[in-house]
Amino acid sequence: MINKNQYELSFRQVCLFLIALVPVSKMFMMPSVLAKHSNEDLWLSALLNFSLDFITLFFVVLSCKNAKNTLIGALEDKFGKTKTKILFCFYLLYFLLKALVPINEQKDYVEQTLYNLTPTILYFCPFFLVAFFFCLKHLRVLGRTSDVVWFTTIVGILIIFALSLGNMDISSILPIGANGVSNVVKGSFSSFTWFGDALYLMFFIGQFKFEEGGTKKILLSFLCSAVVIVLFTIIFYSVFTSIAFRQKFALTEISKYATVINNIGRFDYIGIMLILFSNIFSLSLPLYFACKILSYVFSIKYKWLSATIVIGIQAIVLIFFNQYVYSIENFVMNDLGVFFLIFSNVIPIIISLLIKKENKNEVAV
Amino acid sequence: MKLEQNLDKNLELFKSKLKSDDVTFLNLNVGSSKAFLIFVNDIVNKEELGHLILRPIARYQGQVTEKKLFDLFLSPEKTKINQFEDCLKEVLLGSALLVVDGLTSAFSFGLKQFERRAITEPPTSTVLKGPREGFVESLPVNISMMRRKLKSPDLIFENVTVGRYSKTPISLCYLGGIADKALVEKLKNKLKSIKIDAVLDSSYISKFLCEHNISIFKQVGNTEKPDILAAKILEGRVAIFVDGSPIALTVPYLLLEDFQSPSDYYNSSYSATVARGIRFLSVLIALFLPAFFVASELFHLQLIPLSFLLTIVNSIKGIPLSPSYEMFFTLMIFEILNEASVRMPKYVGMVVSIVGGLVLGETAVTAGIISAPTLMIVALSGICLYTVPELEQTFSVLRLVFLIIAGAFGCYGILATIALLFIHLITFENYNTPLFAPFSPLIKDDMKDAFYKGFLSELQFRPKSLRNKNKRRILLNEEGEND
Repeated sequence: MINKNQYELSFRQVCLFLIALVPVSKMFMMPSVLAKHSNEDLWLSALLNFSLDFITLFFVVLSCKNAKNTLIGALEDKFGKTKTKILFCFYLLYFLLKALVPINEQKDYVEQTLYNLTPTILYFCPFFLVAFFFCLKHLRVLGRTSDVVWFTTIVGILIIFALSLGNMDISSILPIGANGVSNVVKGSFSSFTWFGDALYLMFFIGQFKFEEGGTKKILLSFLCSAVVIVLFTIIFYSVFTSIAFRQKFALTEISKYATVINNIGRFDYIGIMLILFSNIFSLSLPLYFACKILSYVFSIKYKWLSATIVIGIQAIVLIFFNQYVYSIENFVMNDLGVFFLIFSNVIPIIISLLIKKENKNEVAV
Repeated sequence: MKLEQNLDKNLELFKSKLKSDDVTFLNLNVGSSKAFLIFVNDIVNKEELGHLILRPIARYQGQVTEKKLFDLFLSPEKTKINQFEDCLKEVLLGSALLVVDGLTSAFSFGLKQFERRAITEPPTSTVLKGPREGFVESLPVNISMMRRKLKSPDLIFENVTVGRYSKTPISLCYLGGIADKALVEKLKNKLKSIKIDAVLDSSYISKFLCEHNISIFKQVGNTEKPDILAAKILEGRVAIFVDGSPIALTVPYLLLEDFQSPSDYYNSSYSATVARGIRFLSVLIALFLPAFFVASELFHLQLIPLSFLLTIVNSIKGIPLSPSYEMFFTLMIFEILNEASVRMPKYVGMVVSIVGGLVLGETAVTAGIISAPTLMIVALSGICLYTVPELEQTFSVLRLVFLIIAGAFGCYGILATIALLFIHLITFENYNTPLFAPFSPLIKDDMKDAFYKGFLSELQFRPKSLRNKNKRRILLNEEGEND
């Protein structure tokens, strides 16, 4: 049972979490991946994924209401310890795979855009140190991070939007749906690795006090993030039109044609740096949850040990097996769509319904 | 150990412990009984000793009993003691001790008289507006200053003695109805558990009050001014005075409090908000400007506007050091000058500033050892750091760390280090109080006195970041109930 005097998160922090950490990781390579499959309908692919997450989030939020137990506690009560651990083994794999593509993409971004003069993977290594330190902390760190990082996210996004709006040609995304449903679905399928954020909320069950009207507030926070990203994909395609899929790192490309940059230098880098800062935490999230799951599944007492294992795996794969990473990345993006769909959306909905039913029964008793 | 009835045995005992030449043993007769008086020569007020103790003794003729003797003396600070160790402590603290034959209790008279510094404005926190008095090294004087500020029966002082050799009196000061009782108890226990030879300054104590030894950040607040301390106590903090130190410590500590200057509360809200904004901006410039400049020069030339890049290129032409070494070298010179000017006598310090700042800097640029932009950035960063003098030491270390990271890893390294520092800050708690509050955890009401300095009438509640009782500090009406 949960100790109501010791909630790890506050309700406000949960809402800010959705605003601060959900949109940033989707602003680097994802728009160009979507553009590759869906062309001018890339925003529809993004919208489709957000809709799936929105539905999942709705069920998860319902189970957060009147939660009598944490996620692990509720699952253990329902299925027993062994079955819960087996399920969490799959989630460990899920988080490790989910982390791989965005982190590799971030590594490439850092190497190719920030260190174009001297590209070397070493420059990205400090990220692993931050992620390691992040993983050592209690769940409270997520809420407290969100309390501040929402500001850097919003300011960063505003700067980027302000600098890129002037170069858009909105007619390039018209007519809507011209690219066909199958391509939209294909785009959506290949970008599942960047989505599935409702799942994080599932791990917050029983960790925060639900406020009155909380369902609306949480869904609205998520909607804000969704609108920002959908807008971002629209702006991205409107700036680059048919060559959008070639612009691998949307965030740097989208604003560089602003007139102000010609006069005072790359002013947009302030926004980029702010988003990069928020993204450090966003990228650490799957690693953080992988750590917690590893500790639970294998009953590892020392946080540093699970953090070393999880971060170590990621670092070794990205640093030493770099030539294979792109094959893994392709496999994750093209063949693991169903896997991501099941673990990001289907299972969370089932679990949420079960927990909600359990809560209802307890209230009735 | 209890005192003996036999005077000679007691005298022998005291003489065996108090061998120093400045301790006086005065043999006398009190009525028909023999007695001796012990005091430390230079710390007892001899005039008061004569008037309040020796004169009544000389006039006394009757039988000696404890009650009669106790009533005989006019000293307002008199106590009966029967433990030998307590007697020793009293003598060393500056009391005169009277031991009478046949009695198992001694009489202690508080007649201390120490030389003390006059009350002046503390050099570390000068103000244009507002009170100018600062604490001194004398604990009683400091306590009297606090009593003058807060004339409330709720203002409580609790005394503890720390230091095996120094026996330093330490006083915990708090407002009974506001400070958290658990915090006061925790502090008292912490102070009592300190086993150290001597407490020569309050900074000795602050090290023992830290709950995390390895953090680079301060964990105990401090101030030299009674008005600031009164304000902090009114917010629910507990103050610690150490005899011999003009600096009072305060617990719990928030990082924000060092950005709040006393003048913010004496000036208008608008100017205080602007001043705070400047302070925050200055700290950002001081910490990150040298690092980002080096990172841009080394890795990210695209960040620098073209015209500025041309200026830099012209100025670094022929400089033998790489940008990071050049910045590091200049920063080290600045730190050396800073260290020297703090320690040197004032009149020499002026010369050092002129020679170091003007001659050395100018010559180094002309000789082509360092470039003008680097010198300017270091100077600007150095000045900016002093807008928050309390955190100067912490931030100057961090500035060096960021500079090294910038030279090795560039901008992404700086971002990662900021993230690392940020995680440390947001998860750091001392006495159950988050160091980074009210920013994280975000406490909306406390934000009225953070970046933005609200009007005094807006600050109706005590900071929620601190675990205080009696939340409301501005009552709604004359009979307004406190929550």
